[in-house]
Amino acid sequence: MSDFVAASQLNDAKQAVAKLQANMRLTIRGKDDVIEQVLVCLVAGGHLLLEDLPGVGKTTLAYSLARSMDCSFSRVQFTSDLLPSDVTGVAIYDETVKEFVFKRGPVFANIVLADEINRATPKTQSALLEVMDRARVTIDGEAHAVGAPFMVFATQNPVDYEGTFPLPESQMDRFLMRLRMGYPEPRDEREILRSARGGYDAIALNPVATRSEILALQAMVPQVFVEESVLDYLLRIVAATRTEAEFRSGVSVRGGVALRTAAQARALVRGRDFVLPEDVTDLVPPIFAHRLALARQTSDALEERRAVTAALKRIVGSIPTPS
Amino acid sequence: MTTPVARRPQLSPDELQQLKWLLGGLLTLLGVGTVLYMDIDAWVLTGLTVAATLATLLRPELPGRVPRWVHALAFPAIAAFFAGDLWLKMELLPAMVRLDILLLIYRNLSYRQRRDDLQIIVLGLFLVIVAGVLTVSLTFAGHLLVYTACSLAMLLVITLGDAAQVGKPEPAQPIRETPSWARHTDWRRLLRRLQEVTDWRVVGLGAALFAGVVGVSALLFLAIPRFQIENSMFLDRFITKKAKSGFTDVIRFGDVSEIQLDTSIALSVDVSDQSQIPVTPYWRMLVLDDYSNGTFRLSGGLRAQFGSERTNSFQTGQARPRLGEKAVWTFYLESGVSRYLPLLGHFDMLRFRESQNYRFAGALALVSLREEPVSMTAYRVEGFDLTTLLPDPVFAERWRRRHEPDQKPVGLQTRLILRDSDHGVLRRTVSEITGGESPGAAEFARRAGEWLRRQHSYSLTPAIPGGDGDPLIRWLVSREAGHCELHAGSFVLLARAAGFAARVVTGFRGGSWNGYSNNFTIRNSEAHAWAEIFDERAGGWLRVDPLAPVVATTGEEPRGEAAVAARLDRSWAARFDSLRVFWYRRIVNFDQRSQAETLKAVKEATQNTGRRLRVALEGAVDNLKVWLTSPWDEVRLVRVAAFVIGVGALGWFLKSVGPGWWRLRLRGFGHRRDDPVRREAGRWLSRLANGEAAEEEAGVIADLQRVRFGARPTWPEPARVFQRAHQALRSRRRRAVSRTGSGSG
Repeated sequence: MSDFVAASQLNDAKQAVAKLQANMRLTIRGKDDVIEQVLVCLVAGGHLLLEDLPGVGKTTLAYSLARSMDCSFSRVQFTSDLLPSDVTGVAIYDETVKEFVFKRGPVFANIVLADEINRATPKTQSALLEVMDRARVTIDGEAHAVGAPFMVFATQNPVDYEGTFPLPESQMDRFLMRLRMGYPEPRDEREILRSARGGYDAIALNPVATRSEILALQAMVPQVFVEESVLDYLLRIVAATRTEAEFRSGVSVRGGVALRTAAQARALVRGRDFVLPEDVTDLVPPIFAHRLALARQTSDALEERRAVTAALKRIVGSIPTPS
Repeated sequence: MTTPVARRPQLSPDELQQLKWLLGGLLTLLGVGTVLYMDIDAWVLTGLTVAATLATLLRPELPGRVPRWVHALAFPAIAAFFAGDLWLKMELLPAMVRLDILLLIYRNLSYRQRRDDLQIIVLGLFLVIVAGVLTVSLTFAGHLLVYTACSLAMLLVITLGDAAQVGKPEPAQPIRETPSWARHTDWRRLLRRLQEVTDWRVVGLGAALFAGVVGVSALLFLAIPRFQIENSMFLDRFITKKAKSGFTDVIRFGDVSEIQLDTSIALSVDVSDQSQIPVTPYWRMLVLDDYSNGTFRLSGGLRAQFGSERTNSFQTGQARPRLGEKAVWTFYLESGVSRYLPLLGHFDMLRFRESQNYRFAGALALVSLREEPVSMTAYRVEGFDLTTLLPDPVFAERWRRRHEPDQKPVGLQTRLILRDSDHGVLRRTVSEITGGESPGAAEFARRAGEWLRRQHSYSLTPAIPGGDGDPLIRWLVSREAGHCELHAGSFVLLARAAGFAARVVTGFRGGSWNGYSNNFTIRNSEAHAWAEIFDERAGGWLRVDPLAPVVATTGEEPRGEAAVAARLDRSWAARFDSLRVFWYRRIVNFDQRSQAETLKAVKEATQNTGRRLRVALEGAVDNLKVWLTSPWDEVRLVRVAAFVIGVGALGWFLKSVGPGWWRLRLRGFGHRRDDPVRREAGRWLSRLANGEAAEEEAGVIADLQRVRFGARPTWPEPARVFQRAHQALRSRRRRAVSRTGSGSG
C-alpha cells in the first residue's frame, strides 16, 4: 500500500463526499458547515457531541446521515432509569437451546443517536462511552463487535441542567468534536416551514454511499499528508493551551492526535490529500473546546463555553500561520 | 474559493501587558541610572528601586502579594517623606529627585494602568532631563537617545494595548489582584513571540525614521542661532555643590591615606598651536604656603591676593606673549574637580563662555570660581607664559626689602612653625645637602631634589614612621617611600630651612595627547603636587618637582611636536574620549564661531566628496572610451563573451531559484526544514492571497498549495507552477488597471 493517497482514490473520495453532502442538504437546510463537520467526524472515525437547544435539528441531522448511507441507525433516549443493558444488550437464558443467548442492544448499529446523554446515570453513560472507545461490547467475557463504521451522535441541552448528570471531562475526551447547530437563517427556516415533512420516518432519503465506501474513506485518512510546518503549527497550538492562564489544564495528547486526525479528514472531505493550516485553524474550537475547562468559576455553562472559545480563538490568532 | 492567507501573528493582550511591564521596568532603570552621574544623595533609594524593579521583572506576580495597607499608606508616606526631606535638607531639586525615585519604586510595586505607564515615562524623563541639564555630559546624550527610543516603544505598546482592548474600559479601581498575564510570565517565550510577530521591515523603517529625526535635529542644531543654554537653565542653583576629587586648599600629612587611582577624565584641553605645547605641562591650580602642625594650607596673606569677587566673562593676566606666540588654549574642566581653574602660568587673557563669579590672584596666576561647578566648565586662555619661572615683581620687591626695619615677615613664605628638635633636624639635613655652601635657589633645588630622590622612592601607599615631632620631618629623615605631596612638602621645608621662600603647588602634571581629537586629556590620576622656590636673581618663582628626574632650571622648556609625540595616545579609550571632546567642542561649547567653522567644514566635505565623485566618474567614462576604442582581438572578445554569459547565468539562476536561496544561505544551515521550494510556494500564495482571486486562478492556487503543503512525490513541476503563478499575478494586475481605466473613463 502506498504512503500517499492515489489520485483515483482521491477522486472516489471526492465523489462520495459530494454525494453525501448533496443528499444531506436535502433535509438539513442552510447548515453546510455543520454537514461538513459531521462528515469530517465520520471520516475521521470519531464520535460527535451535539449541544444545542431542543428542536433545532440535531436528531434530523443524525437521521439524515444514517439514511444517506447504506447503514443501520438506532436511537436511544437517555433517561435517569435507563440501564447499561438497555444500551449494550443483555444475555438471557434461551430455553430452547438451553443456554444464555446475547440479545443485542441499540448500540449495535452504525449510527447511534444517544439523545440527551446527560440525563442517564453515570453508570449507563460509562457503558456507552466504553463502547465508543473500544467499538465492542463485552458480556460474560465474550466480546461482541459493534457495527463498522460506528459513530455515536450524542446530544445534550446546554441550558437545562435540572436532573442531569454532566459528563466528566475524562469522558468528554472520547468525543472527537462538539458542535452546535444554531438556529437556521430566516430564508432557510422558511423553506423548512414550507416542506410538509412530519416525523423522522418521513425523511425520504436514498442511500448514496455504501458502508464499504465509508470504510475506504476512513482508511484513507492516515495517508493524508501533514507537512512539518503544519505539524509544528498544530503542536504550538496544543502547547499554548497548556500555558494559557485561563485554562485549568491544557489539551491532552489524545486531543492533539484528535486534531491532527480531524484535520486530515477535513482535507479529504475537501478533496485534498494534504493538510492546509486552515484545516487545523478551523477545527481548533470544535475539537478542543469541550476538552478544556476554565480555571475560574463561571456563572453558567454557556458563559464558560463562550469564554473557552474566545480564549482558543485568541490563542490561534497569536500563533503565526505557516506561510 | 478560499486561499490560506499568511496572517502575521499578533501579540495577545496578555503578552502586550507583559511587554509593557518589561518596558516600564527598563524605563525605570534608565531613569534612576541618571543618579550615577548626578551629584545627589539618593544612592539608597536608587539601590532600592533597582532591586525592586529587577525583582518585579523576574517575578511579575510579586506586586500582587503587596499587602493592601501598603497601597493605602503609600501616597501619604511618600508625601510625608518629601515634606520631611525638604524641611530637613532645604534643597528643592534633590528632594524632587528623591520623590521621583520613590514614585518610580511604587509604580513598580503595583500593577500599572494606562495612566501609570504614562507616569513612568514622565517620571523617568524628569530624571534624565535634570541629570542632563546638571551635567551636560556625553552620557546624557546617549542616555536621552536610549530613553527616547524606549519611551516610543512603550507608547506604541500602550497604543496597541488600547486597540486590543477597544470597548473594554479600564477598571476604575487600581489593580490589586495578580492579573493573569503576571502569573505565567516567561520572558524568553515573550522574546521568541516578539521575534515572531515583529515585521522587521517596519522595525527597520521605524529605526530609519528615528535616525532621520535625530539627524534632522542635529542639522537644526547646526543651523539655528546660538544661545547660552546655561543662562536659560537654573537647575544647578538648586543643588549643593561638593567636590569629588578632593582638591582643597589644605594638605594634611599626619593622616596620609592611600590615593585612589581615579582614571576618569578631569580636564580636556584644545590647543590652537601645537608648537606651543611643553613636553611636561604642569597645570597649576592652587598654591599652599602656610605650614603648621603637619598641614599645608593657603595662608591668609595669599588668600588676600585673590582680591574681591568679580563678575565678568573675561580676565586679563600679567603675561605679554611675543608676537606670533599667542596660542589659544580651550579648557573643558569636568564637574567635581575643583573650583580652582587649572592654568599653565601667567596668561594674557582668560575668557569664559558667560559671565562668572570668580576671584583672580594676578601675581599667583590663579583663578578661583565662587562655587565648585557641577557641570563641565569651559574657558579659553590666550597667550600663556610657558617658562618654568613664574615672574613675581611685587614679591621680588618685598623679598629684596625683607631685612629693612619697617618690613614685617608676613607673607614671605619662609615661615617654619616647628619644635626646636625639628628645626635641628632640618638644619642638619640642609647642611648635608648644601655641604656648608650657600648655593642659589636653582642650585639648591637641584641638590635638594637629588637628595630627596636618593633618600625616598615613590609610592602611592606611603608609610610615615611613628614618634614625636612633625610627621613630615619624621618622614623626611626616614627612608620610607612617599607620594608627590610628601616630596613637595619636604622640599618646601628644606628650602625654607635653607632660607629660601618656597611653597607647595597642587594641580595636574602631564596628560596624554589624543591622536583622534587632537587635544590634551588629563585624568584625575594625574593629579600632582610640586613646589615653587623663589629665585631672587631671576625675580620669580621657579618650579621644582622633586619627583621629576631633572629639576627645572630657569628658562624655556622644550615644546612642540616632540611633546605631542611623547604623549600620543591612539588607544581605544582615546577613541572614546575623542567622542567626549567632540561633544564638548561641537555641542556643549558650541558658539557662533564653532557653528560657522562646522558649517564651513560640512560644506567643504560635501564639495570635496562631489568633486571626487565627479572626477571618478569622468575617469571611469574615459577608461571605458579607451577600452572600447582599443583594438578588439580574439582574446578580448572571448573574455567579454564569457563575462556576459556569466552574468546572464547568474541572473537566470537567481531568477529560477528565487530569493529563497539567499535567505536560506543567510539564515545558515540550521533550518533544514525550510525547504526553499516550499518557501517560494508560500510567498507566491501570500502574493495571490492579497486581493480577489479569479476563477482561473483556482488551479494555480491549488498547485501552489500542493507544492507548499503537499507530499513531495505528489508535486507538480514547481518551476512551472511558479511561472503560472507569476502569469496569474500579472493578469490580475492588468485586470485591475483596466478596471481602474474604465472606471475613470
